[in-house]
Amino acid sequence: MSLPPQLRPSLTPQELEFIACNQETIEIIPLFGMDRIRLISGIYGPFVPPAKTRVPLWLATNLKLKMKCRIIPPEWLSVDYLNAKVEEEIAAEEFSELPFRYAEIAKVLLDTASDNIQQADKVRFLLKELREARQAKARKGLSRIDFSLVDLPNLCAMEINEIRPYFVKAMGVMGQLTAGMHPPGGGGGEGMEIDN
Amino acid sequence: MEDGGDDGRRPQPVGSPGSVPRDLDRELDRLDDERMLDKLTRYWIDERNSPDILVWQGLVVEETLDKLQAQAEMVQKLQEDPRTSEEEHFRIVLIQTEAERVKFLVRSYLRTRLHKIEKYAAYIIQTPEMRGRLSVTELAHAQKYHALLTAHFHSSALSGLPESMRSLDDDEDESGRGTVTRPNKAQGLFIRARRRCPVSLPNGGILELEKGAIHLIPYEAIEALLRLGDVECL
Repeated sequence: MSLPPQLRPSLTPQELEFIACNQETIEIIPLFGMDRIRLISGIYGPFVPPAKTRVPLWLATNLKLKMKCRIIPPEWLSVDYLNAKVEEEIAAEEFSELPFRYAEIAKVLLDTASDNIQQADKVRFLLKELREARQAKARKGLSRIDFSLVDLPNLCAMEINEIRPYFVKAMGVMGQLTAGMHPPGGGGGEGMEIDN
Repeated sequence: MEDGGDDGRRPQPVGSPGSVPRDLDRELDRLDDERMLDKLTRYWIDERNSPDILVWQGLVVEETLDKLQAQAEMVQKLQEDPRTSEEEHFRIVLIQTEAERVKFLVRSYLRTRLHKIEKYAAYIIQTPEMRGRLSVTELAHAQKYHALLTAHFHSSALSGLPESMRSLDDDEDESGRGTVTRPNKAQGLFIRARRRCPVSLPNGGILELEKGAIHLIPYEAIEALLRLGDVECL
């Protein structure tokens, strides 16, 4: 009741978006004049068109929705960059490097500021391809699961959230299965005895 | 004491390693305020993900509430003042928007703890270490909640059972049956190392975590590191 059941297993995608909007910053070109503003998270501005200024993502989308700014999308949110990423993702065995909250940032920007992103439809399509390539890799990673540790370089926030239920469950089951095989305090499984 | 988290250690931006590079001047310009919100966010995410109840982060919560209150007072003063300009009014709207976001964060943190306190009330009351992790009001709530629940069980069912079967504080036996709900410390957790640190694994091995590395590890292996702020949940 204090925490609704749907929120208990992990953070929700909406909450991840909330975190990204608080923690990530982005450049905007303001379309209005205003002095510096002091917020709890910091001091931003001054807003003097056409000078660029860097603000938290939530502030950027808030101003954008009021048509008070243009958002400058990050370098990686472009057709050229994503094209190269998709190729790299398909060719390589490992996950390629991306901003940790790329999925959230891309979603927020495509929802609110698609007119500031060049070829937004193509960008959307490439992000989907990237996501599928990475998802397939994440699923393969499930076979490497050990009862004590899995190493997951370059995995992003949204992807972790997506695989969390299966991975955590799988690890729990593996732990139960192997529990009887390790003698207490022992380092290896030499004495492969199973009680019961 | 452990509370206060990583105060006194070198400040570390919690932001993602792959995010857009920020220049140093701007980073220094931001004062301590941002670190406070980032800290609260980290504690919130840790609390949401870990099976166990973590140490109450009273300092950060109080600091955040103080900031919110100071800001609310300032906003009210400005709103009552007829000389406040149009620009100032727009600024107030933005300040209030942010305040609502911060309030959500504080509320969700408190609610998450409340949920765990009610779920593990009996266990918390039995275990001195757990009691120490709660704030004064949280502990009072845990005790009242547990007393209510016990009284209710007794009056509705237990009083009809033989004396030997009425106990509500039986510890879990080998088969995992018991009346006290405990957190499952073997549960896997997605974590990221905030600095280089060693982890002792349940199978006896030791692993050196590199800064920024992401792993899936059972909670019991990183419980202490989480409390020190050496690792964070994802």
